[in-house]
Amino acid sequence: MVELLAQTGLNAVYAASYISLVAVGLVLIFGVMGVVNFAHGELFMAGAYAVVALYADMHVPFFVAVAIGMAFVGLLGLLMEWALFRPLKDNPLGGLVASIGFLMILQSLAVMGFGVRMEHIPPVTQEVVRFTDKVGLPVARLYVIVAAVVFLTALWYFLKRTRFGWALRASAQDPEAAALQGISITQTARIAMFIGAALAGVAGALTAPLVSVNPHMGHSVIVTAFIVIIVGGVGSLEGAILASVAYAFVHTFVTTFWDGVLADIVGLSLMLIVLIVKPTGLFGSADRA
Amino acid sequence: MTDFLEVRNLTMRFGGLTAVDSLSFKVEHGSIHGLIGPNGAGKTTTFNMISGFYTPTEGQILLRGEDISGLKMHEVARRGVVRTFQHSTLFAELTVLENALVGTHMPFRPNIFAAIIGWDKEDRRGAEARAREALDFFGLLHLAEERAGDLSHGHQRALGMAVAYASHPDVILLDEPFTGMNPEETKHMMGLMRRLKEDGITILLVEHDMQAIMGLCDTITCMSFGKFLAEGGPTEIRNHPAVIEAYLGGARHVA
Amino acid sequence: MRNLLIFVLGSVALIALPYGLSFSQQEILVFLVINILLVTSYRLMTLTGEWSLGHVVIMGVGAYASALYTKELGIYVPVSMILGGVTAALLAVLLSFPLFRMKGFYFLIGSFAAGEIIRLIWKRFREPFGGVRGISGIDPMPDFSIGIYQFDFFEPVSYYYFAGVIVIASLWVLWRIEKSPVGLTFHAVHWQDKLAQASGVNLRAYRTLAFAIASGFAGLAGALQAHYVGTVNPNSFDIEVMVFVLTWAIVGGTATFYGPILGCIVLTVLNEIVLREMGLEQARPLIYGAIMILSILFLPDGLESLVQKVTRRRSAPKPEEKAAT
Repeated sequence: MVELLAQTGLNAVYAASYISLVAVGLVLIFGVMGVVNFAHGELFMAGAYAVVALYADMHVPFFVAVAIGMAFVGLLGLLMEWALFRPLKDNPLGGLVASIGFLMILQSLAVMGFGVRMEHIPPVTQEVVRFTDKVGLPVARLYVIVAAVVFLTALWYFLKRTRFGWALRASAQDPEAAALQGISITQTARIAMFIGAALAGVAGALTAPLVSVNPHMGHSVIVTAFIVIIVGGVGSLEGAILASVAYAFVHTFVTTFWDGVLADIVGLSLMLIVLIVKPTGLFGSADRA
Repeated sequence: MTDFLEVRNLTMRFGGLTAVDSLSFKVEHGSIHGLIGPNGAGKTTTFNMISGFYTPTEGQILLRGEDISGLKMHEVARRGVVRTFQHSTLFAELTVLENALVGTHMPFRPNIFAAIIGWDKEDRRGAEARAREALDFFGLLHLAEERAGDLSHGHQRALGMAVAYASHPDVILLDEPFTGMNPEETKHMMGLMRRLKEDGITILLVEHDMQAIMGLCDTITCMSFGKFLAEGGPTEIRNHPAVIEAYLGGARHVA
Repeated sequence: MRNLLIFVLGSVALIALPYGLSFSQQEILVFLVINILLVTSYRLMTLTGEWSLGHVVIMGVGAYASALYTKELGIYVPVSMILGGVTAALLAVLLSFPLFRMKGFYFLIGSFAAGEIIRLIWKRFREPFGGVRGISGIDPMPDFSIGIYQFDFFEPVSYYYFAGVIVIASLWVLWRIEKSPVGLTFHAVHWQDKLAQASGVNLRAYRTLAFAIASGFAGLAGALQAHYVGTVNPNSFDIEVMVFVLTWAIVGGTATFYGPILGCIVLTVLNEIVLREMGLEQARPLIYGAIMILSILFLPDGLESLVQKVTRRRSAPKPEEKAAT
């Protein structure tokens, strides 16, 4: 029993890692641009397909494929900022609809390029870090956890310690005041969009060998990310990370001991309860919404 | 006269700050009652408590002896106490007539089933007549089909009052009705208020500028730093040492 | 007189419409009619200023309810359809208690969560909802004759007429509501809820009323669909369908009654007929998505703004004509 608990805990840490990478990007984009990026799950999917194309089909080394995938998805983010969110910056509902349109385009491109069937990628490594006979962490999952820790720490450092980060936080809190201080909104929006997208991309790229990659995989990712950012408080990065961990644990444990559908119901119900009790999220003071 | 509207030991705290501190005063039926005080005296907070926008921390608001404190705004309105808002809070996207029609919500309560079948023709006619009457009273009838957001500032203020008047209120609460008006508009507005009073409507108004309402009010309550300071007729208040001190002191602080 | 002429011509056109179409296009036509009711009911909800992401699930509630009433209780199909709508409306009243504690973006997400929970409940509980596969073998609408026309509900044309009559009647009711003092109050709640409240409007009651009416008609639309298709399952009411409803409303524009209907017709014809005919089966979502983006970028007030421009230009030189009609 203890071993089952420990193993489930490890699984939850892995889940928390990729969820938080996706959710933090979503929060960053919402914070700076005030737009709900519905296509965020498809950015995750694009990262996964980058690995399918480069690593599985063209035999590029895995980590090179991941890096290229991450940069590629970051560029997709820049494209979205330029083509959709900047022209629609005074129309939040329009931004949402445009991101849904972008989602359909990405999905459709994935279907046309790779087909609707699921892609199974040759495993990168079969190694498992063993703690006991029954408790182990596959190294491929460890990569995701390490990536989450590294990238989120780097993001934290970037936001708190650099001038760009300061500008980003300032324009998330009060775009007008930030503009008065000489901060370029366009510039910060671009940076936020690039980082946010790239984080989703790297999460998708690293998890690609662990899941079945398909054009519709973004759906469950975005649903999870929504739950997490609501529980964490829209606009709070720390909240998003804490909520990712909390959600991952609850979801993984309910899945292990009961079933996956019930876990989804529990997750959504938790979010609904948080919304009812404290509509700004547990850690949030969201004034942008 | 009976105690029509009475505020008893009204207190409002925001966190550690006491915005209104055990305030008591009475408004007589059919009078124009002013609530004045320097900036930050707690006038608007008091106003918001009476209209049901805030729930008081302590104390009571009695309307004809019934405690209405803590009721929601629409429940207070249904008891005959209707407020206006600072600035030009209107349904900017709707026409002037439609704005006034929303004001007739209480006397002509819409019924969805009657509306679908078409059995509410009389109510609709009645509501429109009342809305036009209210617009006419405030000299806005010729603008009935205009979009409310396109009106001039003065007309928007008047429309705000027309919306309140359309509901046949017993008491109208006016929040700084003269802000942003030129002397001519102010004079005109005062005339309208006197006519409202002749109609038997009680008016309670909040005003920062003491001079503006001296000639209008029957009774004035002055407050300062959340507390009751003085009450009386205009002359009395104008010469009250505490009031002068509060305003001058306030002015000195501001300067 | 002119109105009568328009009415007669419109009726003839609607009756004749299916005869120029192929069988599969006739089937699309049936869904189009049902979707028009769905999107119009959605607009009624948006009148109070709240955008829901749970509307399609509410439609599903009507579909499931009507299917179960006929299957489990043996209720006559047309009656169970109405009961399906009533069930959806009642559920909306229940949901309004948690959901209307939220506004704006939070309501959007909250309604989404509530909808997903309902869908997951259908998936999880095989009794009575049939789990992931849903319910199949739902009683079809029983055939009947009205003298001049024999309704045979295996024919899409017959169902088109049947659904068409119900949808037009529903649209008429929705139209009457919007043009009534109740509709004006919905607008008031949207534009300045504080001022509306100060005028004695019970905000919660009116928001709930709009939500319940919209949900009732969405439920009716769901019931119409369930008894036509014969099956319901959780995936036929998922977020992707909701996205379609949302885009019909936004691409069409929600400032007018006809905007969402226009959006629904134009996008459906485009998606189901034009793109299909062009043999672009795989690229359909791609082109559809691109059109959504382009229309939101270049036509932010929706297709209805085009119509308004045309009609305004026509009536502008002769304002007295407009006053006369």
